[in-house]
Amino acid sequence: MATPRIGIPRALLYYEYFPMWKTFFEYLGSEVVLSPPTTSRMLASGSSRVVAETCLPVKVFIGHVLSLADKCDYIFVPAIRSMEEKIHNCSKFLGLPDMTKAAAPEAHILEADIDVDKGKRQLYLDVYKMGRHFTWNPFKIKKAAEATWQAHQAYLAKMLTHSKTPLQVLGEMLGEPERKEKDNSNPWARVGLIGHPYLLYDEYVNYRLFTRLEDLGVEILFPEKIKKEDNDAAIAKLVEKAYWTYEGEVIGAGGYCLDNEVDGVIALAAFGCGPDSMMMDLLQRYAKRQRKPFMLLTLDEHTSETGLLTRLEAFLDMIYRRKAVRNNVAAGLKTR
Amino acid sequence: MRLGFPHAGTIYVPIRTLFQEMGTDFVMPPFNTKRTLSLGTKYSPEGTCLPFKLTLGNLIEVCELGADTLIQARGFGICRLGYYAKLQEQILRDLGYDAHFVKFSVSERFKLYGFLKLFKQLCNNASWRKILSAYYFGMTKLGDIDDIERLVQKVRPVEIEKGIANRLFNEALKAIDEASNFSFLKQVKRDYIEKLNQVPKNLDFEPLKVGIVGEIYVVLEPFSNMDLEVELGKLGVEVHRTISYARWTKYNFYLNPLGIDEWKKVHKAAWPYLKRDVGGDGWESVGEKVLHSKEWDGVIHVAPFTCLPEVIAQNIMPHTKEDIPVLTLLCDEQMGKQGTLTRLEAFVDLLERRRRQRRMR
Repeated sequence: MATPRIGIPRALLYYEYFPMWKTFFEYLGSEVVLSPPTTSRMLASGSSRVVAETCLPVKVFIGHVLSLADKCDYIFVPAIRSMEEKIHNCSKFLGLPDMTKAAAPEAHILEADIDVDKGKRQLYLDVYKMGRHFTWNPFKIKKAAEATWQAHQAYLAKMLTHSKTPLQVLGEMLGEPERKEKDNSNPWARVGLIGHPYLLYDEYVNYRLFTRLEDLGVEILFPEKIKKEDNDAAIAKLVEKAYWTYEGEVIGAGGYCLDNEVDGVIALAAFGCGPDSMMMDLLQRYAKRQRKPFMLLTLDEHTSETGLLTRLEAFLDMIYRRKAVRNNVAAGLKTR
Repeated sequence: MRLGFPHAGTIYVPIRTLFQEMGTDFVMPPFNTKRTLSLGTKYSPEGTCLPFKLTLGNLIEVCELGADTLIQARGFGICRLGYYAKLQEQILRDLGYDAHFVKFSVSERFKLYGFLKLFKQLCNNASWRKILSAYYFGMTKLGDIDDIERLVQKVRPVEIEKGIANRLFNEALKAIDEASNFSFLKQVKRDYIEKLNQVPKNLDFEPLKVGIVGEIYVVLEPFSNMDLEVELGKLGVEVHRTISYARWTKYNFYLNPLGIDEWKKVHKAAWPYLKRDVGGDGWESVGEKVLHSKEWDGVIHVAPFTCLPEVIAQNIMPHTKEDIPVLTLLCDEQMGKQGTLTRLEAFVDLLERRRRQRRMR
């Protein structure tokens, strides 16, 4: 039997768990096919299949699935219910396989359920169930799962200690040509950039926001760079207990940024995102109390590059002036 | 301590009864009006759903009337509802109201116990006997409203003079709300059922059967869905709806802890298309469409704009094998009555034509 080719869409949870999935599938002797970075055609094809109210990342995801449909045997679409006890995920992730099936019937889907809230036993059974697609040997599946976990920890550590973005780490892993590092040793401002990874690191969706900020000579504090303890502390301070699975990327990171030496926070949210609509408002209120600049960029398929850029420049100008006033050099204000 | 609570359909009847029976100081929230909506919309984040905005409007209005202890739902693994209290607390604090939130969990297995314990706490630790009898009285009222509503749904499309059934229903609602003891309540119920049965009806007319599915708040709050059921009644449509608060409490309070799942059949029907619980009422919406596709002529799917679970349902519903027309009505603060009416009329026309064609074949 030829090795099965498993397609992984470069969208949604790819930025969070790709090393994990790749290790698992390759350990069990299959080939991983990754979809190319998002293009406008993908977004167009994705949004033509789902109703208009669906949020942007899901539309992008469907576009990726459609682009993979004829390139691989199965497309891996997990339903991640919970990663911690009593903390559940957004409905879009819970129903993702079913929604993908309805929207892209031509794709063969490999489903998986991950529900940590149901207990360890259920989790092991689910992993075993997934492994059974490839091998009959439970020990091999166990070993694959262990390797998977180690790969994930290594991925997290790399981002935390080397302060590399997921994009850089994943690029290294896939052997993509490394971008020339900007000499950013002497930044004039420190800006927190928060939001879900599928918005922060999808360069098509946010119009290369990361690179643009670096070009403007700003140091960026991104969610993966923040330690888990700090993250949890910020959540405990702001909302007592997390409600959504990926609340750490927003409330945790945002709260940490606003509490620490950061000149301003830029938040990315998708239009129609349920969790973000509430969490971002909570953060905005907190930023007001902390007297820190906070800008919320809501992205959808109608977001224009120029509009985004104008807002970004205006925000950075504002930070520059604030700093200038603070440093008592208001008299000799120069443009950069 | 003055208690305040938000509106959600007819849920105010049992809550008010409970507090009245216990002699607790409370503020009855004013009924939803344009003002409630605009207050809620003004202070809510723009992207949240309509139930959040309306309940926030209610809470602001009760705070204006002097309430300082507010009841709101909480939970986990549902939808945004679990986050309502957290955010509304902050919004009210920023508005300068010093209100304390009491949260009622809707995702624990033994909800009834939590609910009664909460009320015991709020009613100055009154005796369990008193609490239980007040609770039972409130729930009987809720059940009676439900029974009368079912009958009204049958009468509305066939009555000769339009509007009588609806007027009777509003009167009955008021009478039940004001009833002070069991015998009077029984009398009221019997009276109104009698009156509804005597409404002159056009028995030759065969109404279309339309099911209403969707998110529980907007389905059951007439203000948020533009009096959907009344308007459908005027168009000669018999409304079928399984969701109601009486049913919700019956299963969630008594039968679910015993392991009886009211939605088992519905979930089984949804299985080929949606295998997982997506929170809220998304799974049930898909299941009901599939399950009742033979008996209903069409389905109206009501959901708040940007509702998480219902977006999933909305994406899956048109792709089922069971082919009956679905009209999705998304409710938000921009919704207009006339626009909704036009869409309903067009939908009813479509259903009628389909029925005629089916019969000619």
